[in-house]
Amino acid sequence: MTGGQIAGAATLPSVPPTVPLQDTVLLPERLGELTGLDGFGLGGELLATFIAAFIVGNLMLAMTGVAGPWAKRKITAAFTDRIAVNRLGPAGLFIILADSVRLLSKELVVPENADRPAYDLAPIVVASSALLGFAVIPMGSGIHLADPEVGLAYVFAISGIASLGLVMAGYASSNKYSLLGGLRAVAQNIAYEIPLVITGMSIVIFAGTLQMGEIVSAQAKPLLTIAGISIPSWYALVNPFAFVLFLVANFAEVGRNPFDTPEAPTEIVAGYQTEYSSVYFVLIYLGEFLHIFLGGAIIATIFLGGPAGPGPAALGIVWFIIKIWAVFFATQWLRSAVPRVRIDQLIEIGWKGLLVLSFANLVLTAAIVGLIA
Amino acid sequence: MSTGLEREPSVAVTEDELEALVGDRALARDDHLNAPGFVIRPDAVQDVLTDLRDEAGFDHLANLTAQQYADRYESIYHLRKYADPTQEVSIVVPTTTDDPVSQTAEPVFRTADWHEREAFDLVGIDYEGHPDPRRILLPETWQGHPLSEGYDQEKPQLVTLTEHANPVQPDHHDDESDTMFLNIGPHHPATHGVLHIETVLDGETVVDVDPDIGYLHRCEEQMCQQGTYRHQIMPYPDRWDYVSAGLLNEWAYARTAEDLADIDVPEYAQIIRTMGAELCRIASHMLALATFALDVYGDFTAIFQYGMRDREVVQDILEDLTGQRLMFNYFRLGGVAWDLPDPREEFIEKTRDFLDGLPAKVDEYHDLLTANEIFQVRTHDTGILEPEVAKQYGCTGPVARGSGIDYDIRRDDPYGYYDNLEWDVVTEDGCDNYSRVLVRMQEVEESAKIIEQCLDLLEDWPEDERTVQSNVPRTLKPDADTEIYRSVEGAKGELGIYIRSDGTDKPGRFKIRSPCFHNLSALPEMSEGEYIPDLIASLGSLDIVLGEVDR
Repeated sequence: MTGGQIAGAATLPSVPPTVPLQDTVLLPERLGELTGLDGFGLGGELLATFIAAFIVGNLMLAMTGVAGPWAKRKITAAFTDRIAVNRLGPAGLFIILADSVRLLSKELVVPENADRPAYDLAPIVVASSALLGFAVIPMGSGIHLADPEVGLAYVFAISGIASLGLVMAGYASSNKYSLLGGLRAVAQNIAYEIPLVITGMSIVIFAGTLQMGEIVSAQAKPLLTIAGISIPSWYALVNPFAFVLFLVANFAEVGRNPFDTPEAPTEIVAGYQTEYSSVYFVLIYLGEFLHIFLGGAIIATIFLGGPAGPGPAALGIVWFIIKIWAVFFATQWLRSAVPRVRIDQLIEIGWKGLLVLSFANLVLTAAIVGLIA
Repeated sequence: MSTGLEREPSVAVTEDELEALVGDRALARDDHLNAPGFVIRPDAVQDVLTDLRDEAGFDHLANLTAQQYADRYESIYHLRKYADPTQEVSIVVPTTTDDPVSQTAEPVFRTADWHEREAFDLVGIDYEGHPDPRRILLPETWQGHPLSEGYDQEKPQLVTLTEHANPVQPDHHDDESDTMFLNIGPHHPATHGVLHIETVLDGETVVDVDPDIGYLHRCEEQMCQQGTYRHQIMPYPDRWDYVSAGLLNEWAYARTAEDLADIDVPEYAQIIRTMGAELCRIASHMLALATFALDVYGDFTAIFQYGMRDREVVQDILEDLTGQRLMFNYFRLGGVAWDLPDPREEFIEKTRDFLDGLPAKVDEYHDLLTANEIFQVRTHDTGILEPEVAKQYGCTGPVARGSGIDYDIRRDDPYGYYDNLEWDVVTEDGCDNYSRVLVRMQEVEESAKIIEQCLDLLEDWPEDERTVQSNVPRTLKPDADTEIYRSVEGAKGELGIYIRSDGTDKPGRFKIRSPCFHNLSALPEMSEGEYIPDLIASLGSLDIVLGEVDR
């Protein structure tokens, strides 16, 4: 499903000669070469792209599978003095399998007055919008599906589609709690998307490009060298202020504590997902985790040097996954330790605080970069 | 924080002055063991209560008991003073059996609203001028009044399908208003049991709140009326406030019945009772803290688990002491069931260990919870309960003390061993959710002080003087028509019991004054005009247990 959609965006190789890129060859092309599919013309290229997208999509889904039923429980348990799952397999890992069977074998209950096409589409929109975002993320070790010139804009746009899914879910469920959750989700996403994008723009000013591959390679330059150890110019180190802003806005964007108001279990039961069960629930749940990972991937790419790390370049994917998981870990940490803000406070923080700060950051960055240049 | 010494002494009203105040509106005297009682006409209720409140300072309608005799109905208004609960007066309002109509007291005391609804629901007295004369515990379709004479328990409650509409069904939707009606509960993650709150929302703002209770009504009063004083009633109190406040509840019955039947309790047993009760208070406050954090944080977070973890230690100690974790049934009339478990030293050491570790844990809570800025933003100035409003609704316990009302039965109407121990009553003036949390956290520390002193006493108590029970007759038959209302400081507030004996070994009327019932009735005052999350937080800060609200 998602593979086919990614395929369309995957044929924009652009390698400017001035900046040396880490992955000059994108995954679909390499696959095409390796399997000899590129000899079959457009059809072969499409097939190679499809296979590449399949690999990336499944990598992300597998990570979600580990995160949702297992890692989340283990991390939360560690914070709250518990043990969590430990009965099935080593460290309870097989619970992933058991949980999948359990969740997928549940009865799918659809509310009587549900607005059918929208109700059915919402979970798919939520999950696939996050998956689509990974198309432009350079993950290292040659895993990079596409590198369009508008990469960063694309990833923000695609992940923003999730809001649409949440509204659909909230509205179509014919449940007041869902409706409240859907409305909260929209209000929140609008309030935090702008600071998110604005802060992202300050990075664009540094890198001078929207292309993800180039943003990553721009961070490879050494920032300074102390006693022979060269510190790369990751934008988190160049502009920590922007990094913090982006991190906060991202937590709100993916609806995690302290900004998890759209779900707010104690207030509005489960928000927009109240009426979803079985496979639909899995899809929404999956979508949420994918969005956390996508948020982590964006942060890793534009602030933490993407797949960069010590050791050979082939280890890129490992470093990349570690960075994504670090962000995921942060969300779980906050979940265990920080109270949720009220919806009006959330909106206030977004419009009066983050927006102003992110504009200040943008103007300052532009001025400083202009001066240096 | 304040001590009893700083309080303004309240002027004691003598019985003569009372008599003069009630004047010729009193038809007769009907004194109770705890208080002078005046019988008045059913149309003078508001008059008399207003005078007593404004002239004599009886600002606390502690309880309202309704009952039916062979020839009449009776509503008893138990009045007290917040400044001094030992000053009491009972106003008895009889009505005829044919036409049981009595004037409502709601304009004088807001808390009479729910009480009179309950009296109508269970006993069948009509209150003239009541603003909301609905049933409260039983469904609207119920036929008959279960505590009235001649009520046929065997008669099936046949209700037609159309009549028996789903209570959460109505949508209250009309095209003109912009508000939305929302059922919070009976099944909702934050209702702390089975509570149904009918809410009207304007966007995210709460416009109207109407708690709908009764889902957990288990006829506790009637069951107590069918048990014998000596042994059969004591297990029931454990089931009112069932979240580890068992011994506190048992004490409410023990105190009332002991005063009714004039039973002495050995000093040694009183110390054990005091210690056990305060352990229960710690356990209960820990749970209150944990679930309040759950309501505000929104997830099963660290603070919730820490609260449960620390409560678990208390539960273990209580299990060692009573042999039970939930339904202790440890108190007996005239003492407690048995002495501290063997080996004594081990039990005392275990309890001491817990107390020694407590300050560090409380600090941890402060770090995690009260010092957290988001938590402060969420709880400061939300769920405001002004002291005057709290008094109107009969709020007691940490809820009242969080509104600056210096009222604690343990100190003001001493029982057990509290009088001989060093401890303070905690009050906070914030009147908001934050204050109520602070009060509970500090009360945990005060309880620890009390337990510490009890342990010292128990440790040094001479071995041959460890009497755990006094001699109590096998069958208790208090004189007919003796009436008494007595209360103790439960975990949630003033937990009182009214008993009328009818000359047999079972109570003629057994009425429970539940602190949660009063505290919950103040919820609309606290949450209207605020946001839904604050409504949830306010509800959590009241720390209600539906088992006690519905009884």
